Parts: sequence; structure tokens; C-alpha cells
Amino acid sequence: TSGFLRVPYTTCRSLVPPNDDTPFSPKVFDENGTDVTPQPLYRPDPAAVPPRQSKILMAQDVSGATFSDFFSSAFHTTYASFGGPFTRSLFESSIVSKSSQSTMESLNEEIEEPSSKREGIISLSDVQVRREEVKEPTTEDVLNKKVDIHLTETETLCLLDIPATSVSVESEEAEIVKQRNAAYTELCKNRMGNDKYVERAMQTFNGAPKAKEVQTKSITKVDAGKQTTNWDIYDTLSGTGVEGVVREPPETEESNLLDIMSNHIEDAPAPEVILYSEKFQQDLLVMEKVVLQNIFQPKLAAYRQLPILKDPDSTQKPKDTGKTEKQIQKTEDIPSSPALEPLWSFTCELTVGRNVSSMTWNKMNPDLLAVGYGHFDFEDQKSGLVCCWSLKNLKWPDRIFHCESAVTALDFSGHNGCLLAVGMHNGSIATYNVQSKEKTPITDSSEYPHKHTGPVWQVKWVSQERAHSEEEKGEALVSVSADGRICKWVLKKDLDCVDLMKLKRTKSERTRRQLGERERRSELVIWREVPGLCFDFHPEDSNIYLTGTEEGFIHKCSCSYNEQYLETYKEHKGPVYQITWSPFSPDVFLSCSSDWTIQLWRQDLLEPVLVFTSPCMAVFDVAWSPKWATVFGVVTEKRLEIWDLGASILDPTIVQDARPGVKLTSLQFASESDCILLGDSDGQVGVYQLNLNLGEGTQIKMHCSILLFN
Amino acid sequence: MQSDLIAEVEETLKRIQSQKGVQGIIIINAEGIPIKSTLDNSSTVQYAGLLHQLVMKTRSTVRDLDPQNDLTFLRVRSKKNEIMIAPDKDYFLIVIQNPSD
Repeated sequence: TSGFLRVPYTTCRSLVPPNDDTPFSPKVFDENGTDVTPQPLYRPDPAAVPPRQSKILMAQDVSGATFSDFFSSAFHTTYASFGGPFTRSLFESSIVSKSSQSTMESLNEEIEEPSSKREGIISLSDVQVRREEVKEPTTEDVLNKKVDIHLTETETLCLLDIPATSVSVESEEAEIVKQRNAAYTELCKNRMGNDKYVERAMQTFNGAPKAKEVQTKSITKVDAGKQTTNWDIYDTLSGTGVEGVVREPPETEESNLLDIMSNHIEDAPAPEVILYSEKFQQDLLVMEKVVLQNIFQPKLAAYRQLPILKDPDSTQKPKDTGKTEKQIQKTEDIPSSPALEPLWSFTCELTVGRNVSSMTWNKMNPDLLAVGYGHFDFEDQKSGLVCCWSLKNLKWPDRIFHCESAVTALDFSGHNGCLLAVGMHNGSIATYNVQSKEKTPITDSSEYPHKHTGPVWQVKWVSQERAHSEEEKGEALVSVSADGRICKWVLKKDLDCVDLMKLKRTKSERTRRQLGERERRSELVIWREVPGLCFDFHPEDSNIYLTGTEEGFIHKCSCSYNEQYLETYKEHKGPVYQITWSPFSPDVFLSCSSDWTIQLWRQDLLEPVLVFTSPCMAVFDVAWSPKWATVFGVVTEKRLEIWDLGASILDPTIVQDARPGVKLTSLQFASESDCILLGDSDGQVGVYQLNLNLGEGTQIKMHCSILLFN
Repeated sequence: MQSDLIAEVEETLKRIQSQKGVQGIIIINAEGIPIKSTLDNSSTVQYAGLLHQLVMKTRSTVRDLDPQNDLTFLRVRSKKNEIMIAPDKDYFLIVIQNPSD
């Protein structure tokens, strides 16, 4: 009953004439003029209660409705409302249902007239009021009183009553019905030409339509379109998309690329964050390598033994191109004389002025070169430097390690390509991990009590095949130093070293005989050990190694005996700077010394097979070529010599002088290329291509024949 | 550590700039706005805008062919010079070089 809406009477736009104060009461007259107006059940006092209107009465006027129509409809509706015996509850409920409907929506099928509705409503409201009035005085008194509740059955409500249209044949009325049916068929037959039945048309009144408007909020529509790609789907499914799994459709219609762009941006990080991130640095390094690769492309191609292609878009002067073309033709057609062609040199501002003391290639990655910088002699000691150069970046080393003292020896581990052992002038040995960005060594022997007391002249990683126990297999670091000890370093808990050999002074037979007995006994040798300068393990048998000393002797030793030498080769007159086994024949080795000679030995002969005396100064370094069995390189202070034993055993095949003012110090062959690296005292490592025209074979037959004939 | 990194990055940038034939270095962020550049402003903006689209298209192509793949480096060689682009999620590093200079 709360569905009513009170509307002031004055705003009612109904058929009530405005000047009429009394409620509108239609009168129904029948054909005789008697007043048969149906009386309402309850006629309230019009002044007592303000008339209520339902919302429906506010609706637009019913246009075109006549009074008679109005009355008839009123009559019908009221009749419908009051169908059957009714109780107050029914009346209420029907009104309620109707009015609740009417408050909410427009009813076109029912024509609501103000009068009866209003009266009904008013009566109801009055009833409501009365009921409320009655309630008030009883609430307090009656609350605790016992109330009798009577449940009664309401009278039967007949809602629908449709009389049957068919009758059973056996019923009493059957006869009557049959007669009637027969009469009707007669009538139908007669109807055709009968005057009594005439077609006639009638016009009925049309229901007046009513238009109703409703205004709602406009429904916003958004068009969303997306072009998706293969990877888009993949990203979303795997949940690794840049913007996560849930993606919002773009608001505006843009091109697809911009869509992707806008979706990818959430919060662009600040410039500083970008510029100084790790990833950016890596990208920068890669970019540097790419740029340098562009610049040095011909040189790198020569290094890799690829044909050098001329850039078709280059804007070089024709004179230059003419020359290079001729040169290329020459090398292709006519075998030229053996020559060293300079390619580039590893140098940067850090290394200028430093002496290159040692070089070594990485065993795992043949493009990586470690160069140690440090002075050999005591004066002018700067701190040492180790640079790891890569073929991809010729202008700046990939790794730079600063060492406290001058670096004198280097070696990369064969088993673990990242480990670099560095031997220094103050006797300490450090190992670095080249892969990490750490600038400090992994292990450092400077604290170790048994470390070397003199400069470490050579370090080498040696793989131990014959080992006593499982844990010893692997690699050991062997070093030789000026304090006369050859040590094998093992890293267990701490760095631990085992003396493989103590190099003792061996006096020659003659001097020993000269000294008398007494003198021999009282002989006080201040320094019993002789500095070792180099060593080399046998390529096949890791137990045997050769070592050269300052005395000029070469000792063949074994790891099993640390007191005695197996053999001694005495031929050199001065300190032996380098010994190297031949990679091709297992019994042959070369040695060079400061007595201006290079000597080629066979393991079983105590006399050298060949002696080369071409250079007139101390020979610092000698190295076998890894590609040709008869070729080796020699470095003296002022010259680089390439010897080819197949061509000549008396003279070097190629001689290259050092740049003025610069001393050459070290030599290294490249394993995968025909190039050699030359280190000098100015911090430069020059890369030269070796053109010997020896063809593809290793020349080993020539090598063996030379040895046999001698 | 951070200052080391900053110094190294600056040094590397200088080194690249000093190499033979390098005409310019541009660094743009993910939105296409140049952060750092050694060229003049108008060229920078032009390069940034055009190359951004190119990289997006290239990346889309690479990933379309195999969604597990991704673009790591892009080089465009033309008659007069070469443009090298290192793309990343947050930035593009662009270097323009004329190697036969």
C-alpha cells in the first residue's frame, strides 16, 4: 500500500473541469432516464482527505475520448475491479496491484479514469487512515492482552466460469441441444438469399494511441580493434609478455605499430638508469666490436685466411685501388718471396711504454690473447699489467688486471679456459678468472711462506695424466724461478707447493779435479741453487721435462725424481732463455741462449744436431711454428728471424728488423692462422702474416730427413 | 661500484666516438625520445623516429617467424654509411659509421 504517490489536486491534468471543486461524479442513465449510476462503496468526505492521484494521472491527456466512452470504460473497469463477492482485502489487493503497476509504467491497455480510481484510492486511503486511527489507542493497552485469532475460511472465489459448449449425447439436455443445432443449420441454409440477413458495415471506434517518451543516459560504445601477431599470442600464452597477461585495448584507433609501441610503454625508465645499466654497457662493448670490425675488416680477413673483398661502395682514390689490385693479383698468380706482412698491432694508451714480457693464447678460445707487461731487469720497475686482448676488439683490451709487480710469465689453463696464471717479478704467482669482471686474483701466493724468492720466469699448466690418486688428476701449475726451484702448485685448502726439483749448481769436471780435497770440504757455497730460466714439459709424457738454467745447462728431469737429473745437455755458454719441444716430432727440441746461438737437439744425443749462429746478439725467444714442422721463429733484441729448415739451415728465411728505438722481446705463433705476434719494449704487440708459400703440408718429412742426416 | 660503471660507460662511448669513420652515436629510450646524441637535434630526431619504427617492424618479423626468437642486433648497410642498432626493451643504441672514410 505504499506504492501511492501523492500528487496535489491542482496539478492533475485530467478530465476534471478546473472550476469544479467537488470530485467528479459521472452519472449513468439508462434508456428510461433512471439514474443507474453505480454507487461507490464508500463516499468519503471530500474535504477531509486531499485527493490522491496516481502517477498515471499525470500522463498525457487522453485525447479524443468522449464521455460515453469514458463512462463505459469506467463502468467496465470498476466492474472488473469488483468482480464477484469481494472483501475488503480483495479490494485492497486489486487496487494495490493496479496502482503499483501504474506508478511505474504507462498503461495503454487500461484507460485510467480519474474518478473511479480516485474514489477508489481515496476510499482506500480513507480506510487506511481509519485503520490507523483505530490502531493508536489500542497499542498500549492491548499489547499484553490475549488476542484471539480466528481463522476462517473465506468464501469461495470464482475466478473463471466458462460454461461448457459441448454436451454429452446421453445427457438430458442432449435432445434440446440437438434440436437447437438443427434449427441453427436450417437458419444458416436460409440465410443466403434472405432479406433478414444483410451484410452491413460498422465503424468502430479506434483506441486512441498514446505516445510515451523516455529519456535515458546515452550508452557509450567503444570500438576496439587489434591486429595480433604470432608472437603476441605466444607471449600471452606463456605469460611473458612485456605488459603482462592482461592487456587493455587501445582507446583510439592508431596504426598497428604505434599500438604495439603504446602497449609496450608503461613507465619508461629514467635516462640515467638506462645509461648506466649493465645491459647497456654490454651493448656498448658489442657495438664497439662491430665498429672496429668494420674498420679492420680487411686485416681480420687476412688473419682468418679469407679472401679480402674490396668494398664496392668505397670511395677510395683510384690510385690506391690500382695498387692493391695489383698486389692481390701478384699473390694469386706468382708465388712471391717469403715475407712478413704487418696486419695490426695490439696497443692502447695503457700499454704504451711498457715492456711486453710474455704472451699466451687461450686454449679454449683461440681468439683470446693474454699479454703480460713488465720489465725484465730490476731498474725501472713499474707495477705490472696483464691485458686480455680479443681479436674482436683491436683497440682496447677486454680485460685489464693490474698487478703489484712486473709480470714475467703467463699461462692459460687448458682444462679450465678461464684460469690465467701470472708469475711476477717479486716471486709471487697469482691466478685470475678471466670470465668474471673481478679485478683481483683468485689465488695469490704472496702470503705463502714457501713462495718463490726470485722472479718467476715461467709458469705452465701441466695436465697430469699419471697420477697416484684420483684427485691429483687434472692440472697442476708448475713454475720455475730465479731461486732455483721448480715447484708444482696445488690448490687444496690453501695454495700448496711441492718442489719438483731444486736446481743445483753442477761444477764442471775440470774445476772439481783442480780443487784439492781440503778445499772441497771447506768449500762454502753461498748460493747452491742456480736460477732456472725456462722449462718445457714433454708433449706426450707429462713426467719428463726439460729445464734451462743460468749456467747454460739444459737438464732433463722427471717428476718422479726430485734430486737427480736424468740427463744434462751442456753446450750453451750462456743462460738458456727458452726451451721448446717440437710439436711434430716428439724427440726434438730447440733451445736459445744469450750466447748468440740457437740449438736444435735430439733427446738421445748429448750434442746438438744443429746450431744456428746467425744472430749476433742474445736470443730472447724461440718458438716452433704450429703449422709447419721445419719452421721456427727467433727473436733477438733487434731482429725477428724466421727460419725454414727446409729452405736453408744456414740462414734465416725472413729477417725483420725492429722499429728504431724499440727492442723486441717475445714471440708467439697463432695456432689457427699463419700469423705471428711480436711483442716489443714499447708495449706493442704486432701481428704479422707469414707468407712462406710452403703449401698445406706440415713438412714433417723434410724435418725428419734433416734430423736424420745430421 | 656504480661510479666505476659510470666511468667505464663514458669511456667506452668516447672510444667508439673516436674510432675511424664514426659519424654519430644516438641513444633513444623506449618511447623514441633521444637521451644522448652526438649529432645535431634535427638529425637526431629524424633518425630516432625512423629507426624506431624499423626496429619494431624487424622485431615483429623475427618473432613472427619463431616466437622464441628475439632480435639482438640490426645493421643497415647503405651506399654511404652503415647504421648499427642494438635494440633492447628500454633503449636503442644507434651508431652511424662510414668505414671507408
